[in-house]
Amino acid sequence: MSRFIRVAVFASAACLASAAFSEPRYETLTVGRMPEPTPHRLYISDISINHIVDGRLHVIDGDALKYLGMISTGYAGNATLSLDRKELYVATTYYTRLSRGERTDVVDIHDTQTLEHKGEIVIPARHAQALPYKGLARPSSDGRWLFVQNATPASSVTVVDLKARKFAAEIPTPGCWIVIPSQSDGSRFSTLCGDGTLQSIVLNDNGSLKSRARSARFFHPDEDPVFVQTDNIGERHYFVSYKGQVHAADLSGEEPKVEAPWLIATGAEVRKGWRPGGYQLLAVHRKSGRLFVGVHAGGGEGSHKNPAQEIWVFDLEKKQRVAKLPGHNAIALAVSQADQPKLFAVDGMNMGLAVFDAGAKPRFLKRMEQIGEAATLMELH
Amino acid sequence: MKWLDDFFERSSRRAAQRVSRRSALVGIGRLLVGAAFTLPVLPFDRIARAAAGGTGGKKKAPDVYQCDYWRYCAVDGFLCSCCGGTMSTCPPGTEVSKVAWIGTCRNPQDGKDYLISYNDCCGKTACGRCLCNTNLGERPGYRMGLHNDVNWCMANTSSTMFHCTTAVLIGLAEKPS
Repeated sequence: MSRFIRVAVFASAACLASAAFSEPRYETLTVGRMPEPTPHRLYISDISINHIVDGRLHVIDGDALKYLGMISTGYAGNATLSLDRKELYVATTYYTRLSRGERTDVVDIHDTQTLEHKGEIVIPARHAQALPYKGLARPSSDGRWLFVQNATPASSVTVVDLKARKFAAEIPTPGCWIVIPSQSDGSRFSTLCGDGTLQSIVLNDNGSLKSRARSARFFHPDEDPVFVQTDNIGERHYFVSYKGQVHAADLSGEEPKVEAPWLIATGAEVRKGWRPGGYQLLAVHRKSGRLFVGVHAGGGEGSHKNPAQEIWVFDLEKKQRVAKLPGHNAIALAVSQADQPKLFAVDGMNMGLAVFDAGAKPRFLKRMEQIGEAATLMELH
Repeated sequence: MKWLDDFFERSSRRAAQRVSRRSALVGIGRLLVGAAFTLPVLPFDRIARAAAGGTGGKKKAPDVYQCDYWRYCAVDGFLCSCCGGTMSTCPPGTEVSKVAWIGTCRNPQDGKDYLISYNDCCGKTACGRCLCNTNLGERPGYRMGLHNDVNWCMANTSSTMFHCTTAVLIGLAEKPS
């Protein structure tokens, strides 16, 4: 503060006698700390398409709807949390001269409580430079491995040893896409294949391929393909098809077992073209056995990524719809696993975040606007 | 480019003209014949329009800058026409993608279906103008040749950086049998 202003302040204080003019509190710049994590802390991947080399991941408090901080995700990074939620892994690409030079692909390791970068693991320069999807990077259920989807465009999976912090192996997965880790065996993951099957892959102790087994054919990849977004209750994993069939697969054994599908829409609704749509278009609340799916009317070929007009809620055991929610243009859904769960939806048209009570009587609660630029994937703490 | 949405086969232009590839394309063409080429309201459209800048306003922009121009029936990405290139030239200083996806679009002038190669232009950061996306015939990554949420500059060796997408007219689509 300049001397002149100080003098002026003192002068006016003297004149006003009892008027309480307190001295401004002088500050020191520090770095903020994150609040303690809650089950509703959201990690939202944003490919930032307009400046794609500079991707972001937004961290948002899903209760207070407050922006907490950001993680840089590089060029087409794919993020996933560690099992204990203490670390966030981002499989991504860097060039030595931003858009040119030598390419290096790494798994960046970030601390979820400080949002600081704490290390990296160099991986083969083949990670799928793709819009964020849940299965492009996933940890094994025992936390030992990180699986990273590759595309050259040939498909393979990089296996990273998270304990040794190093690349372990690469497993070819021709014609297949996305990683679905087994929930009961850390050395196994499954993937969806273009012949309409699920393939389960078992690893050796060093992360290399031990064996593979395919399910029976259960979907038609051209006529009615399944979305790659999945969710699970234990080893029962749920899939939804473009035309609204719900498929369940038991991945508890070495060979995937699929069940007969059921349709999310009634005959009249099918005639009106009600179909699932979006990117992360479904979520499951495990304790209540409820499935949330973003749907739109007037759907048909090519509408499978349309934002939701409604969000339908199903009882998975009864295979019945139990509620409808307003869609909020949802293209991504995530539900917390708390006893009083919340459902979060990314509004793909306005880049807002809608929050719903996902309990016994689901209802819309509130919204937050301007969460990002091109956010398509959420993960809850 | 193929991040967001578009539909159709991607392959290198050379591969697309091989017989084996062509037969796959016929299948895709069949899928599209009779389909309504409406442009649904898709995620990020609003962002794209905002980013497109100068193409809005009272003055109607030329068709090649609009997502509903017929050749863009399967486009997904920033239109190179808005980025210093054209539908068949990459902007100066960029590099043609080694792989591409092929769409089949109907020209309203003659009612015929044409093969359109949606090569990306690579090596510079995102153009950020005139983002278009549609998903007719698009399939998940287990049908990689029909997938559009992945970077098709991925096979380029000097840089896989995605800049914009072209729409090159490469031939007449074979009639579905």
